[in-house]
Amino acid sequence: MIKLENVTKHYSRRGETITALRCEQLTILTGEYVAIIGPSGSGKTTLLSLLGGMLSPTTGKVWLGETSVYDLPTSARSEHRSQQLGFVFQTFNLVPYLTALQNVQIPLCLLGQAAADQERRASEMLSRFGLADRLHHRPSEMSVGQQQRVALARTLVNDPKIILADEPTGNLDPESREVVLDAFDAAHQEGRTIIMVTHDPVAANRATRSLTLRAGELTEADTDLQADQSPQRLSA
Amino acid sequence: MTLRSIIWYELRSRPWAVLSNSLAILLGVAALVAIRHITVYSEQEISQQLSHLGANILVLPPEATLQDYYAADKNGGTIPEEHVSEIYLAGLTGVEQVSPRLNVPANLGGLDVTLTGILPQSELEAQTAWQTTTLFTTPKAHEGCTKAKLGTADLESPDSLVTHRAIQNLKANELVLGADIAERSAFSAGDTVELMGQSFTILGVLPTTGTVDDSRAFAHLHTVQDASGSGPVCNAIEVIGCCEDAAGDLVPQLRKLLPNSKVVTISQVVQTQVGVNRLMANTSWFVLVVLVVVGGTSLAGAIAANVRERRREIGTLMALGATPQFVQRLFLGKALILGLSAGTLGCIVGLTTAVLAGPAWAGVTVSALPVTSLLAVVMATSLAILSAWWPARQAAALDPCLCFQEV
Repeated sequence: MIKLENVTKHYSRRGETITALRCEQLTILTGEYVAIIGPSGSGKTTLLSLLGGMLSPTTGKVWLGETSVYDLPTSARSEHRSQQLGFVFQTFNLVPYLTALQNVQIPLCLLGQAAADQERRASEMLSRFGLADRLHHRPSEMSVGQQQRVALARTLVNDPKIILADEPTGNLDPESREVVLDAFDAAHQEGRTIIMVTHDPVAANRATRSLTLRAGELTEADTDLQADQSPQRLSA
Repeated sequence: MTLRSIIWYELRSRPWAVLSNSLAILLGVAALVAIRHITVYSEQEISQQLSHLGANILVLPPEATLQDYYAADKNGGTIPEEHVSEIYLAGLTGVEQVSPRLNVPANLGGLDVTLTGILPQSELEAQTAWQTTTLFTTPKAHEGCTKAKLGTADLESPDSLVTHRAIQNLKANELVLGADIAERSAFSAGDTVELMGQSFTILGVLPTTGTVDDSRAFAHLHTVQDASGSGPVCNAIEVIGCCEDAAGDLVPQLRKLLPNSKVVTISQVVQTQVGVNRLMANTSWFVLVVLVVVGGTSLAGAIAANVRERRREIGTLMALGATPQFVQRLFLGKALILGLSAGTLGCIVGLTTAVLAGPAWAGVTVSALPVTSLLAVVMATSLAILSAWWPARQAAALDPCLCFQEV
């Protein structure tokens, strides 16, 4: 379970304080598939960073189970990310000088796994995404869809309990988008918690719960917005 | 996949950047190693040449002049032989060889000759060894001078009196004849002769030198002292000093040590030779400063630029669980590899330059000095790590949220 309690995040810029996020109470249960929707600059990325243990809130607490994430020291938070979380980025964020196999090995390397185990596990994961013949290709040698599949393989390779996705379908064609969303569905079926920031109504409709962010205020998605975005009904 | 392999793959992906980042260090180390090698071997060469030439410092009686000494030392003035011990005991830097001499007129088979009393090296060494157990401090010397120091085998033959101004062993009843005396008297090695009422066996005849030594006979100092009744004195003490020290502090130190004697140096010879070495030594210091300033700032700038370029990657690694320490090691490890490779390559280039250019520039044959080479590599590596320290810390302090942003 993930819980935000009285969380605010302020930024100071040229003496002016901007409230990027305000959330009195948010609970995301284990195994939930949550879409966070909202216009640009509404604080979606701030929320994702807070949930990922990478951005300390100005006030309040972020709980992961019984652990208050920001009461942990920096290195323990890194360890927590390494063991519990998987990230999917809009621009994939693959390391350009590493091959697909090596990119997928990174989370396992950070967990301190033996090289042979890393290679075996990463290879299996890439094969699962239909990239068995692209193991030794660099990102620049692959299509956009293939790159996102490598990124997905990297996200899932350390078997994370929670997946945090930042506009995961933003740069993809419809076919590649389906591959990503199918992967999320499968992960959800496996009992993982998925929190996805998106502008994409099709992606948002695959979630089991939607939240709206407007000017840093987080609320359950209103029906008007959902109706605008999709003919399907979102479960709130 | 390990931290090392991530560093390696990143370096391999941009070979030209690696070369340009480490070029300043490479060139600095190459110049430093080349100059240092040539300097050391030049010092060694000069030291060897001076030992062939003879003493570069003379300790004379106060009333004597350098001209008196080379005119055959018949000035009559003497200084105590114990000055030899005093010089050794002082442990002065750069003293390589000390040789007391006493010249007395004598008659050999009807020929007027100068009999020169000398102390063989074996007795000086015994004296030094005895002093070491009490007060004597081993004198320090430059690397080149130390390497040029003579071994026992170099002084075994009587000819070493010509080549090195010293002889290893000379018994009380042995005599070495100058070429001119031997020719005029028709004596040769193995003959027994009478001189100043004592019987001597001729140990050998010196080759022609064209100097006053050709008309001298050499015997043990103490024998000459006894025969002449001079007591424990000598006319001069020849000091072979390391060229650098002979032109620098050694002469004033000897003057301070022996205030009742005159200390003179063949300054022109020494100064010219040492001037070249000093220039090279100063150049090597200049190159060292350039290496530290230019090489260090260049690499620090390159690593800082690398950190800026890789902000997204660093953010991503942190999001995936990399600790700040991991990120810091990522850049320090890169600096270590750059420093080590630039240092090693620079050392090879410098050494090759020294070997090829040494004979042309300084007239010396150069071979590798392992300690100097190793120090250059260690210095380059340390410099690289120090230069990368601050950019690496900045990388470790980056905000992991960069992974979400367009950088």
